[in-house]
Amino acid sequence: MSVTEPRSGESTPITVTGADGRSSIGGMPIARTKTGRLLEGQTAVDFVGGRRFGLIASGLLILITVGSLFIQGLNLGIDFTGGVSWDVPSENGFGPADADEVLAQAGLSTEGARIQERSSDAGEFIKVQVGDQPEEVGTQLRQAFADSAGVDLESVDVNLVSSTWGSEVTSKAVRALLIFLALVAIYISLRFEWRMAIASIIAMVHDVLISVGIYSLFQFIVTPSTVIAFLTILGYSLYDTIVVFDRIKENEARFGTTKPPYADVLNVSMNQVLMRSLNTTISSIVPVVSLLFVGSFLMGEDTLAEFAIALLVGMATGTYSSIFVAVPLLYLFKNSDANWAGSRNSPHVIGEPLREMVVSGNMSGRRARGRAAVASQQADAVVPSLTGANTTEQAKVALSHPPRPRKKTRR
Amino acid sequence: MNKRALWATMVIFVALITGLFIFDVANERSPVLGLDLKGGLSVIYATTEEADADDLIAIRDLMRDQLESFGIAEPDVRVEGENIIVDLPGVTDQAEAFEALQVSGIVELRPVLQCQQTLPPTETVPGSSLPGSSVPATTSPGASVDTSVPGTTVPESEETAASAAGRSPVARGRFLAPSAAPVTTVPETTTPVDTGTGTDTGDAGETPPTTGAPEFGPPAPTTTLPPDTTGQITAPNQDGTELCVLGPAAGTGEAFERKSAAVEIDLQTGGWIVSADLRGEGQLAWNSIAQQCFNGLPTCPAAPGGRGRLAIVLDGIVQSAPTVNAQSFPGAVTISGDFTETEARDLAQTINRGAFPVQVEQQRVETVSPTAGESALNAALIAGLIGVALTLLYMIVYYRRLSLVIIAGLAVWGVLIYVLATYISRETNYAFTIAGATGIIVSIGVTVDTYIVFFERLKDEVRVGRTLRNAAPRAFNATWKTIFAANFVALLSSVVLFFLSVGSVRGFALYLGVTTICDVVVFWFFTRPLVFLLADTKWFDSSNPKSFGIGTALGGTQ
Repeated sequence: MSVTEPRSGESTPITVTGADGRSSIGGMPIARTKTGRLLEGQTAVDFVGGRRFGLIASGLLILITVGSLFIQGLNLGIDFTGGVSWDVPSENGFGPADADEVLAQAGLSTEGARIQERSSDAGEFIKVQVGDQPEEVGTQLRQAFADSAGVDLESVDVNLVSSTWGSEVTSKAVRALLIFLALVAIYISLRFEWRMAIASIIAMVHDVLISVGIYSLFQFIVTPSTVIAFLTILGYSLYDTIVVFDRIKENEARFGTTKPPYADVLNVSMNQVLMRSLNTTISSIVPVVSLLFVGSFLMGEDTLAEFAIALLVGMATGTYSSIFVAVPLLYLFKNSDANWAGSRNSPHVIGEPLREMVVSGNMSGRRARGRAAVASQQADAVVPSLTGANTTEQAKVALSHPPRPRKKTRR
Repeated sequence: MNKRALWATMVIFVALITGLFIFDVANERSPVLGLDLKGGLSVIYATTEEADADDLIAIRDLMRDQLESFGIAEPDVRVEGENIIVDLPGVTDQAEAFEALQVSGIVELRPVLQCQQTLPPTETVPGSSLPGSSVPATTSPGASVDTSVPGTTVPESEETAASAAGRSPVARGRFLAPSAAPVTTVPETTTPVDTGTGTDTGDAGETPPTTGAPEFGPPAPTTTLPPDTTGQITAPNQDGTELCVLGPAAGTGEAFERKSAAVEIDLQTGGWIVSADLRGEGQLAWNSIAQQCFNGLPTCPAAPGGRGRLAIVLDGIVQSAPTVNAQSFPGAVTISGDFTETEARDLAQTINRGAFPVQVEQQRVETVSPTAGESALNAALIAGLIGVALTLLYMIVYYRRLSLVIIAGLAVWGVLIYVLATYISRETNYAFTIAGATGIIVSIGVTVDTYIVFFERLKDEVRVGRTLRNAAPRAFNATWKTIFAANFVALLSSVVLFFLSVGSVRGFALYLGVTTICDVVVFWFFTRPLVFLLADTKWFDSSNPKSFGIGTALGGTQ
């Protein structure tokens, strides 16, 4: 994720540079490095101004996904497609490793194969199942398995296997999904508003689509575990978007009376939750990355990779879409809304004024901004670019309520 | 907030969880692992007669439904060659699993020729059974598997027979054609009494008094009634109070639309009714026999009420034998009677099960090795722990002293998950699988996020100039709403997926839901008191905000 901070100075600068060369807003010093500002929640990224970046990038990704799904589809595992199964007696010491070897020699991928040891009254045997192979493979490999196991050809049973995940399971899952979507839409509409419901659901569909697209693009095997990972992404994506929207809603209520441009509300909210989004992404993705690299690559457990890749992609896009898809969409839906239409045409602030709003948690409407501009112009006129605490106070008073003085704590 | 109350909340909560954990460890109780991790049992079924691929697929889906309705989770059912293979995870009660699978006979529809009370006249109502009677698990040896449907030809006039008279008041134990009281203008059917149905044999007093029938439990149908070769059988009802001679099967449970049977409350009488849809071909067979019964033809003689009765038979037991109250049933059937809710549900379940196209029988049982194996679980555990350790390291660097809360909270959360996973996997049949592990690994991120949202808010409040002591409750109140809304949606997805999907998706949804609830519970009962109490200590003095990660990037002194 790369975000560039806008250059300051395009609008009226309110941040004041002190004598020691340090900036401060309302007595709060501003970190000098970008990282520092990020850590301290002092960023002033113009998310709304850069909304096209997100929408275009996501549009491209979805285009690739749909294209790939259309052209090569998904590489479905044995649970979905069915396949061929051999029952190889293991009385002569035939083991799973031997089965692997036979498959590899025949040029079949062992990745999607399922090898189980089974035993019954009739004896012990190894059941080898591979997905989606032509019927001849069954007879060809029967000989190979019989040779490898040192038994007669007749002792190796060959069968066609049906899928375990039939169309019924899929249709049930789809029905569950649709009902879930309806419920989520109702809930978000009640708790927040319907535009947020639409934006968050679109963002969620976006995340799931892209995750599925990665599986199609790289032809990773789709197993039931993968499908479950996709379903997980759905919940995670909504969860992440709701946390962001909750802050937006809170700021909307707080500044509903001053009526700043809606873009300001979004920008301030986004900058305020930016660090939380980053932290959450890190703390969610690190365990999954560990699963993928330590569990799957280092320790060689392929089954873990089945869903780790899906989760990794899904979580990354989940956080990304909350910021770069859901919020721009919300802006599109809401900017023309009557409640915020008053200041639709006034440009949203960027740069230092935005930082000031982010840090102070206060937002100015048109009128207040006008006053602020006057105040700071006056300040500039008096002492250009070298101002003391006086001007800061002046600008600040015009902008917002000062924080309540700290009360003496009772003991 | 009262300090003592906070302490009490936290201590009681932690003590409770620790106690449960110690109990589990002391009794060596650990989560039961699923098929993919631990292996399990595999039961191989074969059909008793020729079945085509569609039949086998239908049986596969039905068997899975049946297992799940018995609470056996995540069975792996597939068709292999001519067999149906059911892989069962380490179910806690294997007898239960076998019981669920053994009753896999087909449901038949047979006209009632004659019935005999086998007990002193009790208040037996046709079509009702005694409470608590579930479907017996024994396959009665006398159950004939006669699926031959008489070649009835039914006129195509069912639809025209339906008048818009609405649903007539429901009588006891009656089949009613929903939404229509049929007019009697339906032409007489030319129902062939074919294949020597032996209508004479049914009339005569062939049913000697069987006073020695057992009172409860399914009596063996090898009673004194002479067996005959004309497709007739004698079968008791569920509680053994009635013994009926039944005509040849006029159809199978396939007459009903798959999974369409449902239990409803009749709005007029307030009683439980069972409704089911008929499907295309089944409708013809059903209406044919229904018409015979309605008119009291010799193939289905009139019962004392003036109408013939039609029995739903499973494994040689009459599940329900209501009188037929309509000529024809356009599309759907309702069965009313003196049902209790359980009885109605049992009957609906029987009808739903009835769609088995052919009879299957158990061939052999095999033990199965895990596909993923414990090595996969161990790898997942190690990798997961490394991941959590890295996450916590980052949290320590970022939140300094506040990270203590995260570590403690995650520890409590983890123990709670362990306790619950142990309980769930032992008490239900939702064994812990790779799918469940997925849910938990994902929820680590979401759980840590709860703390991040809280602490970021806390830091905002402190930056504005509040003391930590003052900021903590404010930040909590704001965060609580956010966390609750976000987790509610996550929980919603789990609940919907759990109730509406099948197989491994359900297991996953269950564990994801549990972790979500744990997150919220720990946040309220542990994190909240802990942060409130810590905020009041000198160690968390707000005069040194860097000790919890504020202003660390500013450098120098302020």
